Amino acid sequence: MSKKLNRRDFIKSTTAVTAGVATISSGITLTTFAAEDSPVTNEKRWGMLIDTNKLTESNIDDMVNVCQEENGWGSETHSTGAQKPDWIKKVKVRDKTTGKIDMLPMMCQHCEQPPCVDVCPTNASMKREDGVVLVDKHLCIGCRYCMMACPYGSRSFVHEDLSNQKEHMPRGKGTVESCTLCVHRVDKGGIPACAEAVSSDGVIFGDLYDANSKINQTLKKIQSTQIRADLNLNTGIRYSGI
Amino acid sequence: MKRLLIVFLALTVTSVFAYGVDKHINLGDRATELKNEGKSRGIHPSLSEIRKMHPEFLLHKRDKTVHQGIRTRRNSLKECVDCHSTTKNDEYVPINAPEQFCSTCHQKVGTSLDCFSCHRTTPKEDL
Amino acid sequence: MNIRYQQIKGRSLGFYALIAGLGIFILATLGSVYFIEHHGHYVTGMSNRFVWGMPHVFALFLIISASGALNVASIASVFQKKLYKPLSRLSGLVSLALLMGGLMVLVLDLGRPDRLIVAMTEYNFKSIFAWNIILYNGFFVVVAVYLWMMFERRLNKFTFKAGLIAFTWRLILTTGTGSIFGFLVARQAYDAVIMAPMFIIMSFAFGLAFFILILMASYKWSERPLGDAIVNRLGNLLGVFVAAVMYFVAVKHLGSMYLAENAGIENFILFGEHIYTPLFWYAQIILGGLIPMALIYHPALRGNRSTLGLASLLVLIGGVVQLYVIIIGGQAYPMEMFPGKEILEGYGDIAAYSPSLAEIVLGIGGVAVALIAVTFLVKFLPFLPESLADEISDPHYKTK
Repeated sequence: MSKKLNRRDFIKSTTAVTAGVATISSGITLTTFAAEDSPVTNEKRWGMLIDTNKLTESNIDDMVNVCQEENGWGSETHSTGAQKPDWIKKVKVRDKTTGKIDMLPMMCQHCEQPPCVDVCPTNASMKREDGVVLVDKHLCIGCRYCMMACPYGSRSFVHEDLSNQKEHMPRGKGTVESCTLCVHRVDKGGIPACAEAVSSDGVIFGDLYDANSKINQTLKKIQSTQIRADLNLNTGIRYSGI
Repeated sequence: MKRLLIVFLALTVTSVFAYGVDKHINLGDRATELKNEGKSRGIHPSLSEIRKMHPEFLLHKRDKTVHQGIRTRRNSLKECVDCHSTTKNDEYVPINAPEQFCSTCHQKVGTSLDCFSCHRTTPKEDL
Repeated sequence: MNIRYQQIKGRSLGFYALIAGLGIFILATLGSVYFIEHHGHYVTGMSNRFVWGMPHVFALFLIISASGALNVASIASVFQKKLYKPLSRLSGLVSLALLMGGLMVLVLDLGRPDRLIVAMTEYNFKSIFAWNIILYNGFFVVVAVYLWMMFERRLNKFTFKAGLIAFTWRLILTTGTGSIFGFLVARQAYDAVIMAPMFIIMSFAFGLAFFILILMASYKWSERPLGDAIVNRLGNLLGVFVAAVMYFVAVKHLGSMYLAENAGIENFILFGEHIYTPLFWYAQIILGGLIPMALIYHPALRGNRSTLGLASLLVLIGGVVQLYVIIIGGQAYPMEMFPGKEILEGYGDIAAYSPSLAEIVLGIGGVAVALIAVTFLVKFLPFLPESLADEISDPHYKTK
């Protein structure tokens, strides 16, 4: 139902945009950037498949480092270890019965039914039509209820004043933040920095709905899992090998 | 009632203009360049409109960007900062610093601006 | 007999000393708020693991106490118990004052308290928090109207209706507060529907304890007569509520232990090696539960005001500890992220929380704000009956 509505909205807005471009085309940027001018739709759902068997420990470290570099977190001077942001972290687990050890990168799992979005009093926690879960920091009052609700502990609170942020990644004291799936890259046709940092097939980024995408085809072939699948959140980040 | 409204609007509009006339505003390096080249007209609808309406423009754009992923340059805060920043000793001065483009007006009219507790205050990473 | 309400004189040295003491504490609170907000939350003991800290312990303690303090008025106007009627005005006042203190702490601990307006204008109706914002604001209005009906002689006939609305509202409000935790599916320490009724019972006990202390103190310090009929009845009621809280705590933990997935957290709280286990057993159960009940029900101590005061104080201390164990203890234990696996690195240690002075002062500051509001208002408006001697409140009360 909602999907239908959204699609209709989408068509409406795209026609409006085309009409707008036709009428306002007074030589300003609108025409040049028309391709970037259409809203994201729910015909796509961005996701990532992480194959822990193909990832080495240094791969995971690289993913963490490029994320820090790309989004400008981790160099906070006052915050203590547990106060520092953690958009993506390396997690090592051991099976209690067999003793098998796995290592995996953990970040926001971009759920289809995100608990953080449900609990946010001001709609600051939100999910885009294409499945990316974000914090609209303009609305965030820093109540941290989303951090209580997230089953993955993947949200961070900015504990101190920041300056010299990345141009594309506004961040500030008193608001909550987390992995954005590098939307600023994805919206321009790129892929998240962490996926780019791994040269092997250990991390595949793509549109889960698109039957021709690599991620969709791989997920059809191999065994994969979602973390805390029992919660039925239908995460966008899938793992295989754990 | 209508007359009162007109008087009120006239006063607010003229006050906006009055300020622009009696004091030179720190436009920023690139914006001054564009103005001297006569290219500034194509960027903003009109001086009075952008002065009055820029909060609405920015608000509208911010929602489109965050919620719908529309990343055009028009009305993007990044672009404001890019053109309206000044340099000093080969370094950019934060745009919310005193006497800079945003703060001159905002201080004068006594409204605080909250953009730069999160947004970067200077153009791109390096000069 | 008619009850006559009268402002307290409030000209004694003791009154000014009380105001001054609370005032200094509130100044210290404002100082610590400025300190936290200026530097950011890195100056607190909170972190990404301890999302909510000491301020939330006190804020929730005060908020649930607030709804409980209204009970005395509800018993009078909804359940028509005449004995409690003279206490109704004070009950409404204590309730509003505690809520104000609690909300102040909650708001001042936000990351961006300057954006409070956003919280008032942007609502996500799926969020329990958003519901609570409406419930808290509504509570002020409902109780204010209720008090007005009580104060205005012409409107006295509406007190039953206003009281019924206020009573219903407060039950929903505490359900909402409990559900903040009850609906957190991800956390084994909280995810239980029983949180909501348990918070309601806790509110009965803490709110009444606050009320008894304020009542006895104000009558003693203003040298007005306060008879045993009322005090003993309130004391008995407190004993019942404390027992009910302990029952709910037992049911919650027993029920939770039955689920294998919760074995870890239950062991951690009930039989662990960390601070939360002694806090639970010694402070919450013994100091905040068993000892107050003994003080109230022991035949030798019956009707003794000092021991009732002590019992009420212990109930309050036990209440703060209970919320500490729930909020802080619940976060200290890691979430079960990979069932069947043990996390070696990256997440999953039992985290240690050490609250900073600033957050403790902020938390207690909420109590100070509530108390100063009560102190001022009983001076300026006639909240307190001139006399609550037995022959006025309950002519048929027999002294043993």
